[in-house]
Amino acid sequence: MYRIRFHGRGGQGMKTASRMLGSAFFAEGFEVQDAPRYGAERRGAPIFAYVRADRAPINERGIIRQPDLVIVADDSLVAVPAAGVLGGMTSDTVLLINSHESPDTWRHRLNAQSTILVLPEPFEPEDHAELPYAGAACAGAAAQLLGVIPWASMEQALRHELAELAPAVIETNVTRARTAFERMEPHRGCVREGRAVSAADYVPPNWVEVPFEAARISAPAIHAPATSVEVKTGLWRTLRPVIDYDRCSRCWWVCSSFCPDSAINVDAAGRPEIDYDHCKGCMICVAQCPPHAIETIPEHDAQAAEGGKE
Amino acid sequence: MSRQLLTGNGAAAWGARLARVDYVPAFPITPQTEIIETLAAWLETDTMDGRLVTLESEHSMITAAGAAAATGVRVFTATSSQGLLYAMEMIYTVAGWRAPFVMINVSRGLAAPITLESDHNDIMAARDAGCLQIHCATCQEVLDSTLMAYRIAEDERIRLPVIVNMDGFYLSFTREPVELPTVEEANGFLPPFDAENVVFRASAPTSQAVAVLGGSPYSYFRYEHHLAVLKGNEVYDEVAAEFAERFGRRHEAVEAYRSEDAELLFVMTGSFATKAREAVDRLRDSGVGIGLLRPRLLRPFPETRLRELLAGKQAVAVIDQNLSMGKGGVMHAELASALYGQPDMPPILASFVGGLGGRNISAEEFFEIAKVLQTAVAEGKTPPPRLLYTRDELREMRKLQAVAQVEREELGGGR
Amino acid sequence: MSAREAMIKRMKDLPSTHLLGTGTPMCAGCGGLEALHEVYDVLGENSVFVNAAGCMTLLSVYPFTPFRGSWLYTAMASAPAGAQGVRDALDILLEKKRVTKAEDLEVAVLTGDGAAYGMGLSATSGAIERNLDFLYLCYDNEGYGNTGQQYSGATPHAAKTATSGGPRGFAGYKKDLFAIWVAHKPAYVATVVGAEPLDLARKIEKAKQLTGPRLIIALAPCPPGWGYDPKDSVDIGRLAVRTGVWPLKEYVDGKVVHTKIPHPRRPVEEYLSKQGRFAHLFAPKRNEALLAQLQAKVDAYWAQVSE
Repeated sequence: MYRIRFHGRGGQGMKTASRMLGSAFFAEGFEVQDAPRYGAERRGAPIFAYVRADRAPINERGIIRQPDLVIVADDSLVAVPAAGVLGGMTSDTVLLINSHESPDTWRHRLNAQSTILVLPEPFEPEDHAELPYAGAACAGAAAQLLGVIPWASMEQALRHELAELAPAVIETNVTRARTAFERMEPHRGCVREGRAVSAADYVPPNWVEVPFEAARISAPAIHAPATSVEVKTGLWRTLRPVIDYDRCSRCWWVCSSFCPDSAINVDAAGRPEIDYDHCKGCMICVAQCPPHAIETIPEHDAQAAEGGKE
Repeated sequence: MSRQLLTGNGAAAWGARLARVDYVPAFPITPQTEIIETLAAWLETDTMDGRLVTLESEHSMITAAGAAAATGVRVFTATSSQGLLYAMEMIYTVAGWRAPFVMINVSRGLAAPITLESDHNDIMAARDAGCLQIHCATCQEVLDSTLMAYRIAEDERIRLPVIVNMDGFYLSFTREPVELPTVEEANGFLPPFDAENVVFRASAPTSQAVAVLGGSPYSYFRYEHHLAVLKGNEVYDEVAAEFAERFGRRHEAVEAYRSEDAELLFVMTGSFATKAREAVDRLRDSGVGIGLLRPRLLRPFPETRLRELLAGKQAVAVIDQNLSMGKGGVMHAELASALYGQPDMPPILASFVGGLGGRNISAEEFFEIAKVLQTAVAEGKTPPPRLLYTRDELREMRKLQAVAQVEREELGGGR
Repeated sequence: MSAREAMIKRMKDLPSTHLLGTGTPMCAGCGGLEALHEVYDVLGENSVFVNAAGCMTLLSVYPFTPFRGSWLYTAMASAPAGAQGVRDALDILLEKKRVTKAEDLEVAVLTGDGAAYGMGLSATSGAIERNLDFLYLCYDNEGYGNTGQQYSGATPHAAKTATSGGPRGFAGYKKDLFAIWVAHKPAYVATVVGAEPLDLARKIEKAKQLTGPRLIIALAPCPPGWGYDPKDSVDIGRLAVRTGVWPLKEYVDGKVVHTKIPHPRRPVEEYLSKQGRFAHLFAPKRNEALLAQLQAKVDAYWAQVSE
């Protein structure tokens, strides 16, 4: 069975990518499962989708824990533990990243034994909230890496999944997918089918007798204020607002009042400070700042600059 | 302690009064309404110190009950039948809040067709909600169980709603002699409610009943809820023992009537079980070795006790006053699951469904059920489930259908 | 106007520290969260929010909550009844002197438009008729947002939703919940929007001084549901007011008063054209008739206001 996981952010089309690949497998006579995984995550938050394909009916269900192929549409997620991109990867897993950086850089950075590839033509618009054609490119590349899906089936699947879009948009998607498919030719078939878990040799589940606990402990209640600050929603951000303090007029904290997330704090002197651990990158502050003192910087650039400083 | 004539509804109201309840969210529904009317009268005249609020639905009533309990006051409420079903989303929900309160359900058959009279399909629908359930056979039990229910609900090991069930009409509107504890006696048994840390206070910000993401934390909360309901077996026995000591009335989790030397047993719940008790005496008079088991506690299901009581017996007739369409009597299935695969269990477990919508179960029917058990024992084979209905009833039904101008040629036998 | 309400004249008079915690799972640019955090700043942490099923149910996901005060999730239909239970219980505890006045809380209901305009309407009506002392905050994003923006009783005419995707959008008309609430004659009713924080703060401050049912509808611009870039949330909220689509008003002492009369009133088109849910009114071809109808409806409203 092939087990493929697509990682991206809410809004980047990972569900569509998984469906394109699922349909292509299906057209080739495979039994298929494809599904997105939803949580409470919103636009920009890390999400994933997955595809299983086999010649035999598929009994396995749910999240893929040991993938044969992992595709990452947004390279800023690779290092984010909460995104779970690297979960369950082994030396047999192929990792395909939509990135400007080379496979060697990633191999070095991740210290991974896996086969690491990058999409030859990364799609990186300024705002990563939407990567319009990344899904198609990822699916196209995946088809080639799997080696069992000819281009004709991939194209048919793509047109089927995107049928409701404008014709020009469909054509661009097809072109991007085709390019990715062709450029992956040297790696054709590098993904190998994973094996089933063995019943003869397995790690037992280590069940526990669930201890009885009184309601004061076991009720679904939180006995502390504002614990949500531990959730780093800054991970969702694809654009970063940066305050130019020379231009900031120390106004009547417009940015702070309008920030839906309480992520701009103003000190006693009237100086606003953005809490990047929690700023989701909505950019309302940029739009509302009276002296236009807040700039927009792509998050991946900002992070690259920060990385450079280290 | 004084003895007086009280209806089941009156006994329930007295139970709430003696429990010194703070808050009564209410909504009228037959045959329960008299309970809230009685309480309203007492509250209006300051005979009781508390507050009654009529909500606009049972769904809201249970929401308010759970919310008030989660704020740390002692709550009493009551409903019946359609009302219980309308509230069902919240019955499940507030149980998960771990907010203790006591609710009386006055059992009444469910629509459609709509009826006013009693059976247990309503309360059985709440079986999996995560509340404890005590089923009463007499008006005295309604009063006693209400007081016991508060002790159990508020126990720090439990902290869950407890539903006390009585049958509509047969108990709710029927007066029987009831021993009323004095206020001091009741107070001695039931201390004030200590809500511990599950409250809303300015000094202790709390988020209650929050969402979870993922099956693992969800499972933890549900398992703990289950374990707390199971803990009800132990807590019930403790509370029943103390109650017996103080008041001289012992309410076991399973009433066992002449069962010790019996080979055959009736199993049933609720007020009709006293009919079964009477039938046991008459059958004993004629030499049939039969007894009665009546689970008072339905959740938690007193499995261990039932196994002990049924060990070595020959045959059991479960008489269900409810019907799970397409399966049969609910308690029959529950008992089967409790007994199957255990050593020394009765080989015959027969199912009878009767008493729906208040239909009587006659003494003769109990006798006949006993005979069916004897035959089954002789043949070594469990008989098919029996829906209690007589030829006379079918004949009367035909007359009604004729008036309703049901196509005559469609009608089968029984004419 | 009370003294405290009168103190809110300029943005500077708004609180500079925010009570609602960061790290919530609401979408980036959520207009509802913006309104909630502004409301919370004024209402304060000595409060308990009783919530109905909707987007904001996910504000408190074990073990995380952004509230510095308390929270109780109920179900979609009965949050006002939950508020009833909490309020009554607190009153009983105070009356019986089992807690001190310092432990008292302001009880607030928090629901989306799905609950407020639909499933929870009878519970709200019941709470008002019982004269429950509570604050009700509806964040109105004009559709069942948490399930992917299907139309609700709050969806405006012609808006495209996941269940009204035809060329004319939603066939119904937005229910006048303000008028429905006002018909109950509660202590206070107001419309607000996070994009007008001064108006909002004054109203919450006023509501705080009153007792009885106080009901607030906050228009909640919704980037994914309405189809616009999150950064435009405030601009869209402001345009809703300036085009007259979202009249800012309050009902108190038996009278409805408009707190911000847009003058000059901008064409409705300016509001509509910025949102994907109305894109079919402009492309592939302008739907002049429908645009005129939508403008006429707003004009008619304001004509009746000035009468």
